[in-house]
Parts: sequence; structure tokens; C-alpha cells
Amino acid sequence: MWPDEGPAGGPPGAGETATAEPGTLGDEVYLAALASLAGMGPARLERLLGRWQPAEAWNVLNSGALTEVRAVARVSEQLCQRWIGDARRADPAEVRRRHDHAGVTVARRGAAGYPARLAGDPEPPAVLFSQGTPELLEHPTVSIVGTRRCTRYGADVAFDLARAAAAHGVAVISGLAIGIDAAAHAGALAADGVPPVGVVGSGLDRIYPRDNAVLWQMVAQRGLLLTEAPLGAAPERWRFPARNRVMAALSDVCVVVESHTDGGALGTATEAAQRGRTVAAVPGPIRSPASAGTNRLIAEGGGVLCDVEDLLVLLDISRTTLAPRDAAGAAGGEAPITDAVAVGILEAFDWMPATLEMLASRTGVGLGELAWHLENLSASGLLARRGLWYERRAEAPVAGGRSG
Amino acid sequence: MTATIQSAVLQGVIGQAVAVEVHASKGLPTFTIVGLPDASCREARDRVRAAVQSSKFDWPDGRVTVNLAPGGVRKEGAGLDLAIAVAVLVAKGVLSKEQTGEFAFVAELGLDGTLRRVPGTLSLVEAVEASRVVVAEDAYAEARLGDDREVLCATNLRELVRCLRGEAPFDLAPPSPPAAKAEVTEDLQDVRGQPLGRRALEIAASGGHHLLMVGPPGAGKTMLARRLPGLLPQLDNEAARVVTRIYSAGDFGVPTSSLITRPPFRAPHHSTTMVALVGGGSRALRPGEISAAHGGVLFLDELGEFAPVVLDALRQPLEEGVIRVSRAVGAVTFPAEFVLVGSMNPCPCGNAGGPGQCRCTDAARMRYARRLSGPLLDRFDMRLFVRRPSADELFRGEPGEQSAAVRDRVLAARERAYRRGVRYNSMLPSATLEREAPLAPEAARMAERAVASGQLSARGLQRVRCVGLTICDLDGREPPLQGADLALALQLRNNPVSLDHSFAGSHVA
Repeated sequence: MWPDEGPAGGPPGAGETATAEPGTLGDEVYLAALASLAGMGPARLERLLGRWQPAEAWNVLNSGALTEVRAVARVSEQLCQRWIGDARRADPAEVRRRHDHAGVTVARRGAAGYPARLAGDPEPPAVLFSQGTPELLEHPTVSIVGTRRCTRYGADVAFDLARAAAAHGVAVISGLAIGIDAAAHAGALAADGVPPVGVVGSGLDRIYPRDNAVLWQMVAQRGLLLTEAPLGAAPERWRFPARNRVMAALSDVCVVVESHTDGGALGTATEAAQRGRTVAAVPGPIRSPASAGTNRLIAEGGGVLCDVEDLLVLLDISRTTLAPRDAAGAAGGEAPITDAVAVGILEAFDWMPATLEMLASRTGVGLGELAWHLENLSASGLLARRGLWYERRAEAPVAGGRSG
Repeated sequence: MTATIQSAVLQGVIGQAVAVEVHASKGLPTFTIVGLPDASCREARDRVRAAVQSSKFDWPDGRVTVNLAPGGVRKEGAGLDLAIAVAVLVAKGVLSKEQTGEFAFVAELGLDGTLRRVPGTLSLVEAVEASRVVVAEDAYAEARLGDDREVLCATNLRELVRCLRGEAPFDLAPPSPPAAKAEVTEDLQDVRGQPLGRRALEIAASGGHHLLMVGPPGAGKTMLARRLPGLLPQLDNEAARVVTRIYSAGDFGVPTSSLITRPPFRAPHHSTTMVALVGGGSRALRPGEISAAHGGVLFLDELGEFAPVVLDALRQPLEEGVIRVSRAVGAVTFPAEFVLVGSMNPCPCGNAGGPGQCRCTDAARMRYARRLSGPLLDRFDMRLFVRRPSADELFRGEPGEQSAAVRDRVLAARERAYRRGVRYNSMLPSATLEREAPLAPEAARMAERAVASGQLSARGLQRVRCVGLTICDLDGREPPLQGADLALALQLRNNPVSLDHSFAGSHVA
């Protein structure tokens, strides 16, 4: 867990507190302790570290050098006093034990466990907390991001794209939010390929949003979870733009699947563009507010991404053979339907979402019979229901993607 | 000198016969009323004395004691005024016992001796223990709606005494009250589009299934709800009598020349208190809005704005069809069997429904949906999302079917329910559904799928089955339920109240 562990640091155990002396704990511990202070964002931490080594900074705080710390970190007197008080109460050894207990790896910038992709970044995190397999970042990476208020279209595209990318050996990075992010993670997990990477805004023991608890744990177990936030850190608002920059820095290509014009996903795209990464967006219906941001991104010069081939070209990967189950999944969608009424209903969709009432007026089929067909078509995976709306699915859902 | 005169008081919506006994004796001049009168009843002392004196009759010189029997029943209201006055006049010797023996009196007195109508006249007239009843002129039409008692009326005390003495005939044809306004029932043919909404109304009318309408402002929820009473068949004689009694007792609108035969439609505002909704009150126990909706429709617009305690008070009457109100002054049971129609917006901004149109946060949307408690939500067998009609539907849509045509189907469906021993399907106990609503094989497969996928609970399945049975009845088919019946019922039940846009969970977990 602690890459720079010196010979003095024994295995975590009962006697540890007694043996832990300031010099033997390692910089990571002090970084974690510093990052745990209230209101300690990447910029403030960066300013402190520009002046002192982590252990030094901790000692300065402990000694109560209020004016000095204030001048360096540029924070209010109140906050600074709080830091000093908190630092005096906190025990770095305890911080270390907490991280050990939670199975969280702490990596300091420049140390061995720190992702190489971040090393050359203009704003690299001073410290990263992770759970899972760090080697995943050695694969080509794509960040698949988008709005939380997505449509079924966006969620399906994100799911299918992530699944295909993972099957082709690309590590999918996303933010574990609801909506597009969750669909991308679920897609990557459903593939028989590279597991996904989740970059989150809260501490690794603070699962947020709660709706994604299962997904979160699956990513931590099979893939990799990364965050700048120490254990216990709440999902505060300001942490998410900072999280987006880490996501952008980690990815070779950044794909926005769906975004409103003011969406946070566009922030990720901007960060990626500033770092010279390729940015692409999935085009959507011009009338869908959930696609307004992505369509504008395309108009402003972002690449158009329609399928995994486009992604592989952007990543400069030659297309290898598709995984057999992928091919089977595509064929499943084309399974012939014999019932003429059902075919008529499917055609009435015109690949746009529709409600029961809309379909009734388009097809003239009675409400009861229509409900019956919609129910059956949904059961066979040709339609998906989302609230009132039914949509045609591009493919039949993959059995492995559903766990309950 | 004593005298006994018959009258009645209200207990909820039911009348209770009361004998008014008056004893006049020598002594200091006093006037007391005993026998559990409440404040409004005790005030009769002043009204009665003034009315007797302004009608140019002498007030007895000594002690006057009025007893209201039975003594254990609390008496409220001014309906005993006339009976007390007449009893005093008998005790004084102005009238004889023979002249008043077969009469009962139900009216309030003005200080000048004018007779006035009291709420609940219909129930009171039905309750008195006498063959002839005298009421105020403006209550005459209403009083005659009761059973075959002879109803007489008078305008004031002096005239009444002359009639009782036989010096003048009772006026048997008092000016009839102005005819009720021509009933303007809104017709279903005015509704453009909304095929599912029309269908849901028809099902609600036939099966008595409660309906929740969710939709953005201006989509037509209220318009649809107002058309539901027009689809309900006329009340039968018994039900009409009950409804008229409730209206009379609760002063919800005095019936004029006939019983109320149209199913009522009540739409209380969302600031309504619990007492106003379910009935009660600190002194007189009055029926509330849910009783006024008995036999008809209770429409709660903006359901989310009602106080949660008010809504939860609906649960017991929804289950049992009656509301039992207990207070310190006593307990009464009011009838309360109605079709509940609720409406609410899908989210605080009101625009949810189309993908990506709503600007509310998920948390705000969840909070909004949580205002409806789970148990109450569960009572709605049908949840309908009402969309704003498109311009095309509004201006070029065909006018829909007329209410009368739909009502015929409703009547036929109700006859089928009647043969099962209930008035409508939603009253079928779930134990009998297995027998009354068997499922065709393909419908059974669909039901199994819905339960297995967690879309539907066991109780939910029973309700869906019940709605499916109503759909089957409306089509004029015999059970078993076909797949289409069950699919539509499922569709109507499973519509979401909160349209959450979160995606997580549909692929994982």
C-alpha cells in the first residue's frame, strides 16, 4: 500500500502506533493527512508543497505558524486556524492505519505507483488514492463521459461503445456518476475485455451517488478506482471539476456521448483539449436538449464519433477481430419478427422515442393490443421502456450486462 | 300543565327522533332547557320567547322547563325551535293536545316568528315519530323527498297556529323553489386526442378504480377529471336518497325538487383541512368532502400540495367505503364510497415527461414524488400520464366519442360486476379474483414475467387483474382475461409517478 515504505515500517499491527515516529511514516502519509484537512483543494495543497516537503508542512501546521501558512496557502485566518487545530488533533499514524484498513493505495507525485500519464501534466495531483489494478492505465485509454440526465439513446450508445472499446483492449475511463457515466462503466464491465477505470470526486469510502453502489464496487474489484480526495472526503461541489481534469489527463481520447449546453462533461472535453488530447462527440437529434452540448462540440470542431471503429482510428489501433459474443449480439437485434402488427409497430417508431398514445395514433392499433405487443417486444429486448417512453434498441441486451 | 311535541335532531347525516316536553308551573319566571342541548340549541330560549311574543301570544307566567328526550343524546342546532314553541303554546293552553297530537315540527324560528329551514331537513323528516310533519316553506320541497309522511308547511308561527286550530287550511302548494339550473355536464366528445386518458376514465367509471393523473400544467388533467361523473350511471333510488341526505345535512347545496340522481363531483382545494375533508367538527359532527362525493367522484387537484396528514386520512375510507368520526361529543359513521381521482405535476418544474425536458435535479424530483405516501399511492389502480396535446391534435383531431355512448358501455360492464355480487369490480375481494378473473395462458405468462422481473408485487398483480377484468367487461367478453386486457392494465398501473432520468440500475444492479 505504501510504495516508499522504509525498513522501519513493519506490517500493520497492534504495535505500530508505538513504533511510528515522524521520520518513518513517509511522505504519502503526510500528504494524505494534509489532503484530509477541511477545504484543502489541489491548488492550496500545491502552494503548501511548493514551499515545504509534506512532513515539513505538517510540522509547520502543528507548530501553529499561522501567518506563515496563511501567506503560503493564501487562505482566510479562520480556515488556517481550523487547519492548525485539526492538525494538532490528527495523528498521521492513524491516517495511515485507516488507509491500510480500507485497502487504499496512496501514491505521491513522482513516486513509483503514480500514473505515468499524469507525470507530465500541467496540473498533476500531488497525491492520488486508488483501489484496484493500476496497470490498467498502460492500455490505450478513452474517457466516455456525458450528462446525468441522459436519454435511452445516449445510455445505449455509451454502453455499446464502452463494451466494444473494452473488448478491443481499450481502458474505459469515466466518472461513476449516474447517466452516461454509469452506462459506460456497465458496458465496459459487460465486455470480456479491459475492465474500466473510475475517477471519482469523493473519498473512496464515500460512495456517491448511492444509486451506483454496486457499479462502484464492481469497478473497485475488477478495474481501478482513482481519486484525489482522501478517505472520508465528502462529494463537495468543487471536487468534480478537479476530478474532470484528472479524467481528461488520463485519457488518450475523450468522448462526450450526450451533454446539455451547460453540462459538466463539456468541462472534461475542454480540459482534454487543453492537454492536446483528441476530443470527439456522439451526434444526437438536433431537437434533443440532451444532445445540444455534444452537437455544438462537433460544430466547434470536435470529432464525430459514431461507432467503435471511429474510436479505434482515433486511438490508432488497427481493428482486430471482433469478439464472437459481440457479433452474436449484433445479429440478435436482426432476429426476424413474424407478426405483421409487431413489425408495423417497430416501423412506427422511426428510431425515435414514442409513447403508447403516439404509437396508437400512428398505427391505429387498439390500446390493449398495442400494450400487449409493446410488452412482448420489450421482453424480447427489441424495445426499451424508460418512464412513458419506448425506444428501439440497437441491439438485444447482452445477458452478461444484467446482474439483477 | 305539560305538553309533549315530536321533533328530531341530526346525528351525522341520520335523524334521531326527539320528544320535546314542556312543563309550565307557578313560581319565579324562568325558562330552562335540559336534556343535553348544545350552545346553539340552548339559544332556542331567546329565539322561542321572542317568536312567541312577537306572534302576539302570551308567554307563560311562571317557570317553564323544557326537556329534550332521550336525555342521553346530545342535541345540536336550531331545528327544535318550532317544536319547543308549539309545546309552550300547548302548555299555555293556546293549542290543545288534540290539535297537535299527530304532528311533528322541524324548523328554526326567527325573532318575528318566521319559520326557517334547518340543515338535514330530509333526514329529520324521515326520523320523526309522527305521521304529519310541519316544516318551513323553503324546506317544503326537500322534506317531501322523504318517505310517505305527510309534509305541511307554514310561513310563520301565527299562521301555523291558525292552521292547527282549523281556522285556516294549510297551504298545500307553496311556491315551488326556482327550478334547478339546467345541468351542464361536460361531454367527453370535447376532448381532443388523449386516447389513453379516455380509456382510463371509462375503466375508472366502470370498475370504480381510483385514478392518478400526472402531467404538466395545462395538459388537460382537470378537464378529463370533470368528465368522469358524466360517464357514471345515474344513482339508483337508494343511493340517491343517501346522497341527498348527505347534501342536506352537510349543507353542500340544498336539494330542490327531486333527489340528487347525478353522481356528485367534488373538487376540494388543496388547502382543505382534514376535518373538512373527512368530516367531523368540534361541536356538530358534519360530513366532509369525501362523504359529499359518496356515489360519485372525489377529485383532488395538485395532490402533492395537500398536507400529508390530510391525504393519509383518506386511506381508511378508501378501504372501507365509510368514515367513522369519533369526537368527545360522540361518534358517527358517514358513508364515503367514491372514485378518487388525483392529479399532480410530475416534478416541481412540471415539465418532466419528455426525455431531457425537465430542469429539476433528481433530488428535487424524488422529494416531490415522496409527498405521496406509498400506501396511498398503492390505492391508485391506474396511473395515467397526461401529455400536452400537440397543436395537430388540438386543431385537427377528430372529436371523440360522446359521453352517452361510453356510459352505455359502462352500464353494461357494471351489470356484469353486479352478477358477481358487487356494484363494481374494484370491490371484488382478492380471494375471488382467481375464480372471477382467470388468465388466458399468454396473459399468465406475461403476469409471471412482470412479477419475476420485480415490476409488480403480489398485491399489485391482484389489482392489475381487477383492472384487466374491467377492461374485459367493457369489451363485452367473458373471462378469461386475454393478454391485451392484462397488458393495458399493467401499462396503466406501472406508469411512473416520478419520472426519474437516472440510468444506473437498468444495466447493473
